[in-house]
Amino acid sequence: MNRVTLGWAHAFVVAALFARPSSAADDEALKKDLTAVIALQGLPCGKVVAVKVLAESDYNASCEDGNRYHVHLSPEGRVVVEKQK
Amino acid sequence: MRPARVSLLLLLALFVATCSHREPVTSDAGPANVATPAGVQPPAATPAAPAAPIPAEPVPPVVKAPAPARPLDLNTLETQLKETRAIGLFTKITLKNQVDDLLGQFRKYYRGKAKLTLKDLRRSYDLLMMKVLTLLQDEDQRLATAIVSSREAIWRLLADEKTFSTLQG
Repeated sequence: MNRVTLGWAHAFVVAALFARPSSAADDEALKKDLTAVIALQGLPCGKVVAVKVLAESDYNASCEDGNRYHVHLSPEGRVVVEKQK
Repeated sequence: MRPARVSLLLLLALFVATCSHREPVTSDAGPANVATPAGVQPPAATPAAPAAPIPAEPVPPVVKAPAPARPLDLNTLETQLKETRAIGLFTKITLKNQVDDLLGQFRKYYRGKAKLTLKDLRRSYDLLMMKVLTLLQDEDQRLATAIVSSREAIWRLLADEKTFSTLQG
């Protein structure tokens, strides 16, 4: 491997290291948002610990207490939270 | 310096600059007003005695309580709620849904179609306000304070049929 390739490889490693915290921050923000949404609907959850993005504005949220919810935006513009089995 | 080395350093500098270029962390409560404590005089401009310097005890700064926020009008409140970063997008939509539901209940009440009383509506209103404040109080204290100050004014708008009908457009 020549030095130019090695240089770029280093650069990509550095890029990956710097990119990761931003993505993690977004992930945390989404978990916090969904935690608030579920709480606002009066549903048990505690904290959202994992989120699976199904589509745009369409998520499966797993709570720390074991509950799972499908959170999505209806065509009428309402946030719908459905408990999953 | 070799070109590969230069490009690596440039890239590094770019990433560091990108990562460090975050919006300044501004306390939404605004800068704390720090004042010197009353009764503490500034040192007089007298020539210092040749005595050994005595380390002065650190005087804790007195932080003034923020002035009570002025009540907001509904449009400003709506704009600020839309813009605040303390609440996520989905939470904002959920809150808007709940505000719309409450306004729907008021509409029914004024049309005589609701079994609700004004007391019930007040309870729903208070609960909704509490939800909003809970979401805001830690991260957007200024807006939370403004909402607390506007709470009664907004209620008066809703609780009066005439002003409520003007809100509905």
